[in-house]
Amino acid sequence: MKIVGVAACTVGIAHTYIAQEKLENAGKKAGHEISVETQGTIGTESELTQEQIAEADIVIIAADVKIAGRERFEGKRIIQVTTEIAVKSPNKLIEKAVEVVNQKN
Amino acid sequence: MENNLLYHVYFDCGLTTKEEVHTFISEMVCQEDPSQQEEIINQLNDRDMAGSTLIAEHVMLPHIESDKIKKSQIMFIRLANPILSWNWQTKDIRLLIVILLKENEDEQVKKRISSFTRTLADEAYLSRLLNCSDEETLNKEIKKT
Repeated sequence: MKIVGVAACTVGIAHTYIAQEKLENAGKKAGHEISVETQGTIGTESELTQEQIAEADIVIIAADVKIAGRERFEGKRIIQVTTEIAVKSPNKLIEKAVEVVNQKN
Repeated sequence: MENNLLYHVYFDCGLTTKEEVHTFISEMVCQEDPSQQEEIINQLNDRDMAGSTLIAEHVMLPHIESDKIKKSQIMFIRLANPILSWNWQTKDIRLLIVILLKENEDEQVKKRISSFTRTLADEAYLSRLLNCSDEETLNKEIKKT
């Protein structure tokens, strides 16, 4: 499965980056291809390409603030959670993403 | 750039409540201007109320960006005894990793801090930090980015 995501928190220096790491680790561990863009105090890093977004089966947005460029995901299946969820339960979140994609098919 | 300027370790701290922790942080931050302590405490409280900063069992990550902070830093506060009740939902806190970001900080410093923050996604690493028996070991374990 191909997953893309965005992580963004209020201050943009802590949960954003932990959420990215945890989601990417959990996704890869479960055998998925995953890329998570961060929108933090430094700005946007690991920016998702149009190709990555087009090929993604699902989008995970882990954010406590409004993210930039949400319109890029129009038409895609999206799971939106707080960064706290991504930090505390990344494996469950990936399982949920799989569940949602399987329901869709 | 000097790593040690960014990281500060406080071992066996006898802080027993969230309020004491926030006061301690404000005292460390505002050593040159104690009149700013209240503002730092308010900002820490606001962040705490905005959402949990618990990142693993027993470990909290309070963090703020403020114009009252003159120098960005990362503080490790290892408590002498656990704070049994941080608030109604957060219990048994033993280690606080505090990120204090100066407003309009240099991008290189922000990148160093974000690199450090990413290391906190490793639960085994957090567990090692949590279980260090002395200050020297804790200092050695910290992945200084």
